[in-house]
Amino acid sequence: MDGEHQQQPVLPKREVKGIRPWMRPTLLQRRRRAAPPPFFVRSKGNRREKRTRAHYMLGLALVNKQNLAEGIKALEKSLELGRGAHPASYMVEEIWQEFSKAKYIEWESLSRKRASQLDKLKITCKETLRNYTKFGNPDADEPEEQLNEVEEVFRKAAKTDTPTDVPDHLCCKITLDIFRDPVITPSGVTYERAVLLDHLQTVGKFDPVTRVALEPHQLVPNLAIKEAVHAFLSEHGWAYKIR
Amino acid sequence: MAVFPRGTPLSSEIILTSLDSTPCGNGGGGRDGVAQQAELRRIEGNACFKKARLGAAIDCYTEASKPLPVSGTLPFPVQRSSLVLACDSCTAIALCPDVAVYWMNRGLCHFRRKDWTKVEEDSRRALALDDTLVKGHYLLGYAMLEKEEFPLAIKEFEKGLNLLKSTNSAANMIEDMWQVLAKAKYLDWEQHSTEQVWRMQSLKEACENALQEHHFLSGTLAEDSDGSTDEYSEQLKLLSEVFTKATLADTPTDVPDYLCCQITFEIFRDPVITPSGVTYERAVLLEHLRKVGSFDPVTREPLKEHQLVPNLAIKEAVQAYLKEHSWAYRLN
Repeated sequence: MDGEHQQQPVLPKREVKGIRPWMRPTLLQRRRRAAPPPFFVRSKGNRREKRTRAHYMLGLALVNKQNLAEGIKALEKSLELGRGAHPASYMVEEIWQEFSKAKYIEWESLSRKRASQLDKLKITCKETLRNYTKFGNPDADEPEEQLNEVEEVFRKAAKTDTPTDVPDHLCCKITLDIFRDPVITPSGVTYERAVLLDHLQTVGKFDPVTRVALEPHQLVPNLAIKEAVHAFLSEHGWAYKIR
Repeated sequence: MAVFPRGTPLSSEIILTSLDSTPCGNGGGGRDGVAQQAELRRIEGNACFKKARLGAAIDCYTEASKPLPVSGTLPFPVQRSSLVLACDSCTAIALCPDVAVYWMNRGLCHFRRKDWTKVEEDSRRALALDDTLVKGHYLLGYAMLEKEEFPLAIKEFEKGLNLLKSTNSAANMIEDMWQVLAKAKYLDWEQHSTEQVWRMQSLKEACENALQEHHFLSGTLAEDSDGSTDEYSEQLKLLSEVFTKATLADTPTDVPDYLCCQITFEIFRDPVITPSGVTYERAVLLEHLRKVGSFDPVTREPLKEHQLVPNLAIKEAVQAYLKEHSWAYRLN
């Protein structure tokens, strides 16, 4: 196992234990394009890793048993722990995939319910308005215009449930996907942490957009954008779908 | 040509208080003489203005305007100045009609007197001669604002702001311009939204009445039939939810926390992020660092000015938010 360590980063002592060979793809693996095995098969990691794994498996089990709400909570906890230990690992990526899948399913069922409710009400409203105006509603506008306005109102009410594009400022400039763990560089640009770390390792130690020299320790978590992404996702659950 | 002294800007309405002194020397000996005279009149006007002799100032200007256009120094909307400037501006314009500054100065005069039509005229003349005059844009924008032509006002203020930013002007001037731009945007939104709100309200009432009638006619509104009154009341509830959601963007509420500075609790204008990851308003944080100490206000980690990074993503987020929710332009 030790022979595979060819480049190991200099990390504070307590973190070194958490890094297992399969977590950092070595040059050899990359050349062979082999994906490391799922983390919970091989690792015999430390306590934090064990807790991460535990929450992950609990989450998966709950989700599979259709207990979405609880399952999502467990997966979220696992994600939090995993990110704290080693943000750029495959473990975190795997947890995220399951988490966002569950979130998307949750949103889908809720939004379908909302949409059918709205549709029913919209039809009733239009019907009754048509009849109402027939029987002399003195303040009515052109009946057709009124019906169009009602249509518009219902469309606006369903806007957040309608999939569209995620705004640019919430997306990474490299992946063009919504942020999961945004970090900001000294030039002021925000990227996805894992992708940027990968870029710094494989391509070179410079900012992808401004090309200014950049070291991993200079990265700062963009907490405000993280909150913004969280708020956006809680309102627009369709954005959980991974493309 | 002698160098003429400049006035000093005051704290409020900085943009309008700095006196312009642009000699209109356009070549030629004769011209020079005229130009000098023009400037002298303007300086005289400035002095008069300081003594609060507004009327005299304007008169001076008007007098000199007979064959030629009149320029006057304006009574700056400043506590200590008065309108004598106006008077001399007029004379100055008469003597030297092509100088945009004189037109602008007289516009300022009218501004003080709240004569918006004349402000508009004079500032347009000034801008026609020289488009880069920040004060000209400010005056024209203000005149449009007072006449409630908000889109035009917004355009002028934006032009002025761009000019200020490109020439790296004083922060308080940029602040002034930004504040008046925010005011214009807010008033514009207000005008649109009151109409919208009224229309939505009447539409909602029509829908409610229609539903009520429908249930009444189909006999399901009776108090004893619990099943259908539930349906009716549920429909009403859902209907009001629908209308609330549809008008959400136009309803003033709280600006989300992640778009507000942790110190001022106001929406960001120029957000910067510290190495601890927290974002603040640049001006406020710099003041904190200077007055209170070199540490992050929230995490209390040591912090120096050069460590600050502009949070461009949040800046974009704020712009997107303000575009959709223009009521947030209202400053406290």
